[in-house]
Amino acid sequence: MTKMQDAQNRLRETVKDLFAQQKVDLVVGFEAGSLPLRTRVCFLTSADEADRLVWNAFCTNNPAVYIPRLFQRPASPREEYKPPKLGIVAKACDARAVHKLLEEHQAPRENVTIIGMPCRGMACRDKVVIQAGDEVVEAVESTEGAVEIKTRGGASHRFELQDLLQQACLDCPQAAPEHVDVQIEGASRRDTTRRYEGLKNFEAMSADQRWEYFRHELSKCIRCYACRQVCPTCYCKTCFADMAKPRWTGAGDGLSDVMFYHIGRLMHQAGRCVECDACTRACPVGIDLKTFTRKLGKDVERLFDYVPGLRPDEAPLLCAFEDDDTEEFVTDG
Amino acid sequence: MVFLCNWCATLAAELAGSNRLAYPAGVRVVKVPCAGRINPLHLLRALQNGADGILVFGCHPGDCHYAKGNLLARRRLSVLKGLLEAVGMEPARLQFSWVTASEGSRFATLLDRAVQDVRTLGPNRKFVKNPAAAG
Amino acid sequence: MEKGIIGKSELAKLVEAMAADATCLGPVKDGQDTVLAELGPDTELSFDYANFRLPVKRLFFPQSEVTCVLRDGQLVALPPPDEKTVLFGVRPCDAQALPYLTKIFSDEKYEDPYYLKRRENAVIVSLACHTPCSTCFCTSLGGSPAGRAGCDILAFDLGHELLLEAETEKGKALLAAHEALFAAPTDAQVTAAAEQGAAAEASMAKIETDGITEKADQAFDAPLWEEIAARCVACGVCTYLCPTCHCFGFADEQVGNRTQRVKCQDACMFPLFTLEASGHNPRTTQGQRLRQRIMHKFSYTVKNVGEIFCVGCGRCVLYCPVNIDLREIIEEVRK
Repeated sequence: MTKMQDAQNRLRETVKDLFAQQKVDLVVGFEAGSLPLRTRVCFLTSADEADRLVWNAFCTNNPAVYIPRLFQRPASPREEYKPPKLGIVAKACDARAVHKLLEEHQAPRENVTIIGMPCRGMACRDKVVIQAGDEVVEAVESTEGAVEIKTRGGASHRFELQDLLQQACLDCPQAAPEHVDVQIEGASRRDTTRRYEGLKNFEAMSADQRWEYFRHELSKCIRCYACRQVCPTCYCKTCFADMAKPRWTGAGDGLSDVMFYHIGRLMHQAGRCVECDACTRACPVGIDLKTFTRKLGKDVERLFDYVPGLRPDEAPLLCAFEDDDTEEFVTDG
Repeated sequence: MVFLCNWCATLAAELAGSNRLAYPAGVRVVKVPCAGRINPLHLLRALQNGADGILVFGCHPGDCHYAKGNLLARRRLSVLKGLLEAVGMEPARLQFSWVTASEGSRFATLLDRAVQDVRTLGPNRKFVKNPAAAG
Repeated sequence: MEKGIIGKSELAKLVEAMAADATCLGPVKDGQDTVLAELGPDTELSFDYANFRLPVKRLFFPQSEVTCVLRDGQLVALPPPDEKTVLFGVRPCDAQALPYLTKIFSDEKYEDPYYLKRRENAVIVSLACHTPCSTCFCTSLGGSPAGRAGCDILAFDLGHELLLEAETEKGKALLAAHEALFAAPTDAQVTAAAEQGAAAEASMAKIETDGITEKADQAFDAPLWEEIAARCVACGVCTYLCPTCHCFGFADEQVGNRTQRVKCQDACMFPLFTLEASGHNPRTTQGQRLRQRIMHKFSYTVKNVGEIFCVGCGRCVLYCPVNIDLREIIEEVRK
């Protein structure tokens, strides 16, 4: 039995218990996907479904995105509000997102049971495909720390998970999920020393080079809004980008409109983005969104010592102020 | 585009005016009740519509007519400026200053200098949205 | 001229010759991806790709375009661009979709000049697939990795050279115009191409699609829609990447002191798609929206224009952020 399968079994037993004790009536977790290197989010309503749950290096989605929808109030005030008792399987980034959502009153705290997972980081699909050099047709996380794949051309490869980690995992500020209600036992990633290393290239560029990089990446955008829709902290019923009164920005894929949308979304994510990189994974045209969200997060941390979701009792970033907040952006004279 | 909060900034501007200090040409003024009223989207819209530079004048932190409007603005606008500069916008195009009502000549100096900085940079081509050719 | 062989090393000459009176686009590497990009005199063509991320429909039905401007108080329609293009490297699935779209954008009553003019001005040179992906399922929907529908010329990659086979008069004319650059194919080459196509077809797993329209109609009230859509995040990836999806909307915008009307692609998966001016939205759940998308493609278009609006390109399967798999939906619906 591998350690990963240990954690998976412990998770399944825990979920069965939670259902039995009626602490939850809905559990959101991961189950096998239909493609290699993928899992998918599942919604379980009873203990006998618990064996569908999986836990491996391909559990990349952020399940917190479903919280606003699951706790949505009915349209008619006459209809009874029946919020679920939700159990949510969470990596460290997912747990940070859940806390952000709880802070923003998207669900009653007593209705949410955060099930923290021993997360050693997730495999980046792009890294696997690049290293395999071919389409991957089968992928298994076998003994701890290794991913074994088969390619379309018939080749087999074994990669260390450490070499496949997503940028979000390399940058994670937590060694393990924190502030959870139930912690599934197991080894988590301990290394939080590589935070922001991935930004070095971008920060080293000149302003003109950074502009060109930003322009080149955003010129691919097709306004599908996958980035916004998978983001756990983007849940406005009508996004500013969709408004007609006022029409903040055009709906098309002209570069100026695309930039307005993305910069606007980044501003709305300031102090709220948990850097799970769901946006980057979701983008069908491969825009390097994580560079910009990480840069935003780094500035917020540097200026205000604030990391979203890390310390749930802290006041939200832009709803608060300190007397000694930065003045470095002010023109004196 | 120059955003003036209705209190310190507007008074400072009027004081400058009453001392016969002139606005440079090409300056459009928008009065807001408070710097804290400014939505970052407003500033992005200004850039999209072709503003070559944006200046925001508010009261000194601690002097806000609404107690904390400028204190909230301070965080918001510092993040916006950092983000725009990170993607390559020239720092001089977006500037913020705090003024008191009595700082008429300081206001004029800051404004003149900022306009000069922007003129040196030339027109904003990066963010501007151009209409379709009229066919 | 109906068939011609050209060495890959000679393609630059062909592109140069074609570029004299048309904009040429072809597969070009961009980092890890291959995109359909404009070909310059030195652009290197890539043959090492499965398919472009974005569907070729975008060349005829762009994500957004300005269709009207306000001039002197009158709404004036802008003419569609009138520029000749040659598209090289289009996969047969994307090509198969084009006649479907033409049925939508042109019928007895209405014609969309923006789509039609662009389509008219384009020559489509398809490139047959020698190694279909595991997510491709064109053969399950009347297509083939060596399919000829919708293109003007079908090309086969034979290693060092390409075999081009004209499928339409436009295709024949293009080959004839540059006859000097082509050699007559040998029987061996023609056979090799046919064998490559057959092998590619045989390598693909098939999913059953018989009776899908009737089954979809019967499944209208089934619980499967809400179950699958529970994880749908309501983005537009499947719609915008689909070679046959064609819904669009209009937005009026003010740019400076000009007013323009923009035609934009739209997606029925967006919650706001059916939001009415009154505030009422007839489709409030993601299950209803998912059902709409599937019914439109597998039932309504069959009744309206006689085609299933799916060519099995697999993009929706590959790029859905939450792994909603159309192949699974088809299987579920048929049950």
